[in-house]
Amino acid sequence: MPIYEIRSLKHSYAGKTVLAIEHLTVQPASILGLIGPNGSGKSTLLRLLGLIESPTQGKILFNGRLAEPFSDEARYLITMLPQEPFLMKRNVFSNVSYGLKLRGNGRDIVDKANKALFQVGLNSKDFARRPWYALSGGETQRVALAARLALKPKVLILDEPTASVDAASAHLIQRASLRARQELGTTLIIASHDWQWLYEICDEVLHLFRGKILGRGRKTIIFGPWQKLGMGIWGKILSDNQHLRVPPPPNPEAAAVIDDLSVSEDSTAIAGEGIVLSGTVSRLNLERKTGQLFATILVGDLPLTVALPPQQENEHDIFPGKPIFVSYRPDQIKWF
Amino acid sequence: MFSRWSHFIAYHRIAMDFILEGFFQAFTLLLSGNAETYSAIWSTVKVSSYSIGCSLLMGIPLGFCLGYFNFMGKKSLRTIVDTLMALPTVFIGLLVYALLTHRGPLGNFGLLFSLPGIAIGQTILAMPIIIGLTATAVESMDQKLRITIMSLGANRRQLFLSSLWECRHGILAGAIAAYGRVMTEVGISMMVGGNIKWHTRTITTAIALETNKGQFGMGVALGLVLLAIAFCVNVTISFLRQRY
Repeated sequence: MPIYEIRSLKHSYAGKTVLAIEHLTVQPASILGLIGPNGSGKSTLLRLLGLIESPTQGKILFNGRLAEPFSDEARYLITMLPQEPFLMKRNVFSNVSYGLKLRGNGRDIVDKANKALFQVGLNSKDFARRPWYALSGGETQRVALAARLALKPKVLILDEPTASVDAASAHLIQRASLRARQELGTTLIIASHDWQWLYEICDEVLHLFRGKILGRGRKTIIFGPWQKLGMGIWGKILSDNQHLRVPPPPNPEAAAVIDDLSVSEDSTAIAGEGIVLSGTVSRLNLERKTGQLFATILVGDLPLTVALPPQQENEHDIFPGKPIFVSYRPDQIKWF
Repeated sequence: MFSRWSHFIAYHRIAMDFILEGFFQAFTLLLSGNAETYSAIWSTVKVSSYSIGCSLLMGIPLGFCLGYFNFMGKKSLRTIVDTLMALPTVFIGLLVYALLTHRGPLGNFGLLFSLPGIAIGQTILAMPIIIGLTATAVESMDQKLRITIMSLGANRRQLFLSSLWECRHGILAGAIAAYGRVMTEVGISMMVGGNIKWHTRTITTAIALETNKGQFGMGVALGLVLLAIAFCVNVTISFLRQRY
């Protein structure tokens, strides 16, 4: 049974629908990633899954039962780390142990709080008595995460957990979150702009755009605005003056999803497959779950992600910095 | 020119003498335990404690609701509360007098010219301040606080109490402002209390009366006590703020 099931969900603020999801399930002990530009509805979806708010329409089932804010599920099984770190006006120990006290989990409170602080790389001797205002941004976020980990939640929802922290803090936060899943079987739901990280760790990645699920898995999505390049041709002029040509979009702000990108060192080899652009390999990523290797290719300033079949990795000896050609078929572009 | 200047100096020397004499008399009255002086002090402390206690009990929950919840007519209600924060004390005195006089709707209770009567008036004076400043503190409360408290497993009661605790400094500022207003008002005490010696005479009404009589010593003594009470309240609150 899925831990979450969303049915015909619609959520509005001041009469404007900001999220509409027909059906979505999340499996227990899985990691679900959410990717999308600002305003795509990620935080709203997380607040609804965190049972902080009730949807305007539709249902959210938790373990097969209708779940609502302040229900036992919301209070004892689910916890959420909001986008910007926030601590109450208390010292670090009081912040970390606060949830334990709220949930009536008062036994061994000191041990639990110290352990949670250790998990996020903070020494309780140095930090436990520090007031909330004497912490850096990264430390604040880690204390906030420790307060959630101390609860040993069934579901841990993280909204941009590494957006405003340094690389070292980001690493500690990522490690602590994954350990919760490994040790406690916690279901993780993470929204992040660090899509490379999400692709590496998630069982499923959802792309949100304007409050709707645009697709699942690794996708190359190019957001508007689009401009007329002349003679009924639309596209974008990239920073190196190459033209990314597309069929007429439904509106100038639409998002284009390009699924079938091909790469080659030789532009003539892929010329028959569509429009060819020249770029540079900027990054290689391994999707641990499938063993699939992905290359991020910068065309001008536009990053395009291409799945590399195993033989291609060897044949072309692809590495970051290597010039390469990418081709796509405009007629295969899907618009959202 | 010289004559005008010497007249000016002489005039101010007399005024300074009055004030210095007043200070001297003040210490004499306070140190000798003058019964009339201490009666006014006790009446003030008693009546202001009643009124501020009632205002806090009713004002904090009402202010929290006003700041926390969104409902139809909230803006209008907020404007009314803000307007009431500047209510003239003589107007409240008049209103409460009309209510408590033997021909008024609450005349049967015999509260006119009594300390509880003054306390009712002062509660009306302090409550809009408590409500308004509590609502402001709650409105300026970080929205992330609600998400944080809820996501850590709070029920509705815990959410209310924790939110209240987090905006405690703002509420405390409101309480201090209200206490200052209550302690220093004259209109209500004079009109509703009647300034009856040994009975409803408060520090402020006593100062007004003694100054009219030319008894600066008593007036300055009572003024000093008012200052001392305000100082003690602020020191206590400052200590509590640092501690919590």
